[in-house]
Amino acid sequence: MANVFAIIVCAFIGGGSRYLLGVVLPVTAGFPWATVLVNLLGSGLLAWLSHAERVTARWPSAVSVGLGVGGLGAFTTFSTFSLDLERLLNHQAWGVAGLYVGITLIGGLLLSWLGVWSARRWWAFPVEEES
Amino acid sequence: MMAAVAGFGAAIGALGRYGTTRVIQRWTGNHWPVATLAINWVGCFLLGGLSGWQLDQPLTVLLGTGILGGFTTFSTFSHELVMLADQRHFGAALGYLVLSVGGGLLLAASGLWCGLHFR
Repeated sequence: MANVFAIIVCAFIGGGSRYLLGVVLPVTAGFPWATVLVNLLGSGLLAWLSHAERVTARWPSAVSVGLGVGGLGAFTTFSTFSLDLERLLNHQAWGVAGLYVGITLIGGLLLSWLGVWSARRWWAFPVEEES
Repeated sequence: MMAAVAGFGAAIGALGRYGTTRVIQRWTGNHWPVATLAINWVGCFLLGGLSGWQLDQPLTVLLGTGILGGFTTFSTFSHELVMLADQRHFGAALGYLVLSVGGGLLLAASGLWCGLHFR
């Protein structure tokens, strides 16, 4: 039940912020800046959150579920990415479509990897070493 | 005001994703990201259909930006992809990438077609 409540609150904030970013950063030159920004930022943060044990151990697990599944899950979006891509291909904007896919996928994976790597390096519990 | 509408929808969508993921993972275990793939596919198809219907703005923000935007997720997709690669399941990672992006694109296009033809 705590998980459900945390997800509702965080997803409200995550989804609302995604909408506001879309208003602040409108599509210019056919390029959906806002979708790229939320997906890259959200990917890095979710990956970090999933491995930063020393941080997440300080609060109840419902907070981590809320922030991850609710907040960052709702902040990022896959459906808008696919539909944007379909529109660009449909308008034969090959260059913009290629840039959009490339930046979203390579950037999203790079930031996810960076999130995992940095959390394991600096925010994970030290592994007991055999002596 | 519209941000609250989007947020309200996103809360519904995220809860739907949480529930769906738990049900699917009960069958499949959580080794393979089947749940996220199914969720993103369904969301892509429905968003395509919604955009074909051309509803007025508040409803589009509630259903599209809110519910379907919150239901589907990119951050979990990219994290799962990185973890598959981290566990050296490179073939599965590539398959997940191609199925997600290619399938999502095809489903968005078929949803759009259905939305334009059945309204």
